[in-house]
Amino acid sequence: MKKKTKWWLCLAPMYIFTLLFILGPIIYMFVVSFATNNSSGYGFTWTFTLENFARMLDPVYVDCFVQSFKLAFSTTILVILIGYPFGYFMAKLSAKGKKIMMFLIMVPFWTSSLLRLYGWIIILQAKGLFNTILMKIGIIDEPLKILYSYPAVLIGMVYALLPFMILAVYSSVEKMDWALVEAARDLGASPFRAFLTVTLKMTLPGLLSGVILTFIPSMGLFFIADILGGNTIVLVGSLIQDQMNRGSNWPFAAALAVILTILTSIMIFLYRKITHVKDLEGIV
Amino acid sequence: MSLKIKGVAYIAGKEGRMKRKILAVSLTAAAVMAMTACGTTMNTNPQGAQGETSAESTGGSSGSNELVLYTWANMFPQEVLDGFEEETGVKVIYSNFDTDETMLERLAQAQGGDYDVIIADDYIIEQAVNEGLVSEIDKDIVTNFGNINPLYQGQFYDPEDIYTVPYGAGVPVIVYDPEQVDFEITGYNDLWNPELEDKVAITANYRVINGITLMSMGKSMNEEDVSVIEEAGQKLLELAPNIRLIQDDNTQNALLNGEASAAFLYTSQMISALAENPDLQVVYPEEGLGFGIMAAFVPSQAPNKEAANQFLNYILEPEISKQCMEYIGYYNTTQAADDIVDPQLVVPDSVTSGEIVQNVSAEADEAYNKNWTEFRAACGQ
Repeated sequence: MKKKTKWWLCLAPMYIFTLLFILGPIIYMFVVSFATNNSSGYGFTWTFTLENFARMLDPVYVDCFVQSFKLAFSTTILVILIGYPFGYFMAKLSAKGKKIMMFLIMVPFWTSSLLRLYGWIIILQAKGLFNTILMKIGIIDEPLKILYSYPAVLIGMVYALLPFMILAVYSSVEKMDWALVEAARDLGASPFRAFLTVTLKMTLPGLLSGVILTFIPSMGLFFIADILGGNTIVLVGSLIQDQMNRGSNWPFAAALAVILTILTSIMIFLYRKITHVKDLEGIV
Repeated sequence: MSLKIKGVAYIAGKEGRMKRKILAVSLTAAAVMAMTACGTTMNTNPQGAQGETSAESTGGSSGSNELVLYTWANMFPQEVLDGFEEETGVKVIYSNFDTDETMLERLAQAQGGDYDVIIADDYIIEQAVNEGLVSEIDKDIVTNFGNINPLYQGQFYDPEDIYTVPYGAGVPVIVYDPEQVDFEITGYNDLWNPELEDKVAITANYRVINGITLMSMGKSMNEEDVSVIEEAGQKLLELAPNIRLIQDDNTQNALLNGEASAAFLYTSQMISALAENPDLQVVYPEEGLGFGIMAAFVPSQAPNKEAANQFLNYILEPEISKQCMEYIGYYNTTQAADDIVDPQLVVPDSVTSGEIVQNVSAEADEAYNKNWTEFRAACGQ
């Protein structure tokens, strides 16, 4: 029996899976985005139209894209500011310390992310933990209206996405060859300069993975905006969902999704261009 | 995969599912519903429905002393069904569906036969009537027909009141906390009062919220004229500064935990809010109500029409209506029972007009959608 001849059969399921469940839906979405929505009742007809895309030029919908990008950017920046130092110092802990930290980061994932978001509602609400503490220690007299506002959404987003950044940076820093930093210091670089020229450069792929793991989901995590923002922050994701369900306009929803996909791809392309990183650690 | 029927069952469907599923809804399920907000108006496409039907009990044949009742699960207390058998000797076979669309499909397949009494939402009854699947009520048997509250009669699905007997209504109302609000709220227009800045919670149904705005302008909830809808959109934008929260599930919590001082709530939410805080004030807006009605009808080829009409007559008896409405937690549609039913389930006599959200043209629907998106975006700013 020749073992070599049919090795590719082992890979076939993976290819079929990819074609069927990843490429297939994307093509379907693309095609549907050019279909015509039925004027009444169910579904759509296969008549070619560009109207779905033209409709997006309406300021209301353009604004949704702008809002989504703004939120994704602010989330990503906050996540970098908190996540990078966290991951960096975590990689410098003792082996036991690392284990403990890793465990603490993973624990929240044992609970549904939706339940954790509801937890934030309890913390942030008018009579909730946060306001009670602030009032007890006398910083505020009246409860802050944080829940159902932009800051609440931002808190939720950062909370949900922070672990991905920490883990990406951590794995990058951990692998780093510290001898290079020592060399830089030996050659007279200040600690800050050594960090900028050596450490940051070497961990850039990890940071970039973190950025992508943060930025892309934050374009789509509309349920955080719906739950913590009380449906008052309209992101593209929730607009798509609205069009799928309430509006019952699948072609328009598909067109929105196509544009979102294109814009997100452009962002990834730009990140790579700017940072000159070819390989993303952790995800590719 | 699910497709949604456009523009229908906005209130009735929501109310129905909320109550009927209330026991089954775990915290996670509620969360998922909040996330996808799909509980409201989803239906299944024909293929999906085929798949689901196997889980349901089937109608089947009925002898002369049997009556096949086809409706959602948990719509009747067992005593009521037993009482009918005692009174007439006809045994009630309870058969259930989970969506209106499944019901219509089955009924169409049976060509109006198999079932004796069906209870479903307003909009689907209109379709059933149009397809000739409904028979007229025998008013010689249904002598209690006069017990019905006229508020719920003459609706679009049965303008001449010859096919249906209403069985409960879902009515969204304004509920507010008098301790937090310094003035008396009497109608939709009061929600625009600047004193309520950042203090109002509303449900997340785009047609209903557009609808109450139109009502506050003295227009119909089902306005088709795009320029009027755009006008309503402008007015809706002025409401944005007052909006604290837009949410379909457990909206009453915002009122109870102090996030909001006034809220526009579905019936079931109003009832849970009052159960928690009886001091809350319920307002039946003076501009008129928007509601959804569930109604009973006899299919065109019902095997046992006589018993079916007897059953309709039976559920219109005040005492029976009372038991039923208190069991399902809907607004009482049998006026003769108003005095004995839980007062929370009675719309006051002062309210004489109400409207049901119906399907509108694609252009109008798009305008409603646009209003809604603009409004939501404005609320966040």
